[in-house]
Amino acid sequence: MVQDTRLIELKGISKSFDDTQVLHSIDLYIRKCEFITLLGPSGCGKTTLLRIIGGFETPDEGQVLFEGADMANVPPYRRRINTVFQKYALFSHLNVFDNIAFGLNLKTPEALGVKTRRQKREEIARRVGRMLKLVKMEGYEKRSIDQLSGGQQQRIAIARALVNEPEVLLLDEPLGALDLKLRKEMQVELKAMQQQLGITFIYVTHDQEEALTMSDTVVVLNGGRIQQIGEPKRIYDEPKNAFVADFIGESNILSGIMREDCLVEMLGVEFQCVDEGFAKDEPVDVVVRPEDVMIVGEDVGMLTGTVESVIFKGVHYEMMVNTGAMRWKVHSTTMQPAGSRVGMSIVPFNIHIMRKEA
Amino acid sequence: MKRSWYAAPYAVWMALFTIVPLLLVCYYAFTTRSGAFTTENLTRIFDYAPVLFDSLRLALYCTALCLLIGYPAAYFMASRDMSRSQSLAVLILLPMWMNFLLRTYAMMTLFENNGVLNTLFEALGLPRQQMIGTEGAVLVGMVYNFLPFMVLPIYTVLKKLDPRVIEAAEDLGANPVRVVTRVVLPMSVPGIVSGITMVFMPAVTTFAISRLMSSGMIYLMGDMIEEFYITMNNRNVGSAMSLVMMVLILISIGFLRKADPEGQGGGLW
Ligand SMILES: Nc1ncnc2c1ncn2[C@@H]1O[C@H](COP(=O)(O)OP(=O)(O)OP(=O)(O)O)[C@@H](O)[C@H]1O
Ligand SMILES: [Mg+2]
Repeated sequence: MVQDTRLIELKGISKSFDDTQVLHSIDLYIRKCEFITLLGPSGCGKTTLLRIIGGFETPDEGQVLFEGADMANVPPYRRRINTVFQKYALFSHLNVFDNIAFGLNLKTPEALGVKTRRQKREEIARRVGRMLKLVKMEGYEKRSIDQLSGGQQQRIAIARALVNEPEVLLLDEPLGALDLKLRKEMQVELKAMQQQLGITFIYVTHDQEEALTMSDTVVVLNGGRIQQIGEPKRIYDEPKNAFVADFIGESNILSGIMREDCLVEMLGVEFQCVDEGFAKDEPVDVVVRPEDVMIVGEDVGMLTGTVESVIFKGVHYEMMVNTGAMRWKVHSTTMQPAGSRVGMSIVPFNIHIMRKEA
Repeated sequence: MKRSWYAAPYAVWMALFTIVPLLLVCYYAFTTRSGAFTTENLTRIFDYAPVLFDSLRLALYCTALCLLIGYPAAYFMASRDMSRSQSLAVLILLPMWMNFLLRTYAMMTLFENNGVLNTLFEALGLPRQQMIGTEGAVLVGMVYNFLPFMVLPIYTVLKKLDPRVIEAAEDLGANPVRVVTRVVLPMSVPGIVSGITMVFMPAVTTFAISRLMSSGMIYLMGDMIEEFYITMNNRNVGSAMSLVMMVLILISIGFLRKADPEGQGGGLW
């Protein structure tokens, strides 16, 4: 699906608002048909980066290239990009139908593959109808915007951008206002649309699960800096630093010392691991995912502790196990009652070593 | 229950200064000087049809000019460049702080035969112009006086316009011209309607401005009514004319309301 050609390239993008730097020298390329997600906590600069790509904000430094051409002097209306805005920005003077048809109405009949104005009207009606169906808003054509709920407005915003079938679609937390069930459904629909139409999606979210399930590539941002770029699985399995490990999924993060290649000491115990290339006795961050901690008999565990709490989470139990030096979060399908003594062990492959951040 | 009592002073105020005068106008309009019922006062309006026609025509011109000048002015005032818009706002609103008669006298000194403009023309070697006494001068005076009432409601609406909506239009492929025609203009219709009403209503009943700027050559309905009331001391015909004007204005408001049913017109009336 994802092609090798670089569609958009960001080179050294920096941006400040009133003396506070929001983006620090962002380098990123986006390939044709890629579903790339910007993931990060609130205020990390996701929207700002998206607005720079859309042309609504000019970077203080750096370049945005579209198929190799600098976009600095190309206004938004000439970029082959459409946006689903975080705050919807719908046209309150138009009804639902005319909101979605706005972009198509601006096009010539030829651009829509028809000849006459009449045919254009019919074609627009057809496409808008299809979009309304996709976002599950059929029958709302004549409604005015202020009669819609937040989630409905959000779906109209998605339809309004998607109906133009742009080369690139920027989506700023497009499912933020939807309930969980609709959100999951729309995730599937959006992903299907993206693949079917071959549109490049640049997607913003702070929901890590959404990012991991939908994306070809995830870009983790924090404080205006890229923390890690990679495939979802890679980011999850091999977080590059403690921030990524903590932000993506749940994790036990602790300090350790690299005694030698493939041997790390933490909490006074030496563990086998699979990481090499660290200096001898280098201090490191160690990440262990809760589901990678195995509960074993107290006598055979590498660590022993007391179960402090048990919460049923649907598929698994989440237990907090106190080993004295640290409280571990453990996910397991079998339950150990609170207060019981347990042993824990971790296989070398599931211990992730990361260099300490400067 | 109790709350409604807070409104009492306003109700009294309304009754004293709005309802009672209105009733008086109606009473005078349908009575003779001696108090007998008549409709003759109303039919007298036909004698003054040309004046009525002139009043309507000039008010229309004035409203159109105010819209043409006022909309761009409001647009620039509402644009994000604060430092410039501040001075523009003051420039447009400053005259409002002065009584309209004073303003008009000031205008006269500009347009008089020996006025500022003619002196300027002479200095530049241009021929003197007869300006005062022309319909153009009256129109300039009216536009100058009523312009703020057009600018303010439009400004209020434009100021409330979310810049993100404009960005959305650009995003969907609208060039600057189409952003204005498809989004900014349609969204400012309530302000425009309000502005038109605010200018047209007082413009139809303009008085003094017309007489002063035309050195008494052009008489409008407002001047007529004033004349009947004060010079001829005939409040019966004067009231009848006022009544006709009021009805005409109410009708035109009715039409305008249709264009802005939700009445979001900048909240000015
Ligand atoms: N126009 C602006 N003027 C001043 N500061 C701004 C402006 N836009 C954004 N910022 C600041 O830049 C930082 C990044 O904002 P941005 O909107 O990009 O965050 P975000 O990652 O999209 O956050 P969220 O997830 O909450 O939407 C924030 O600290 C914000 O206050
Ligand atoms: Mg944002």
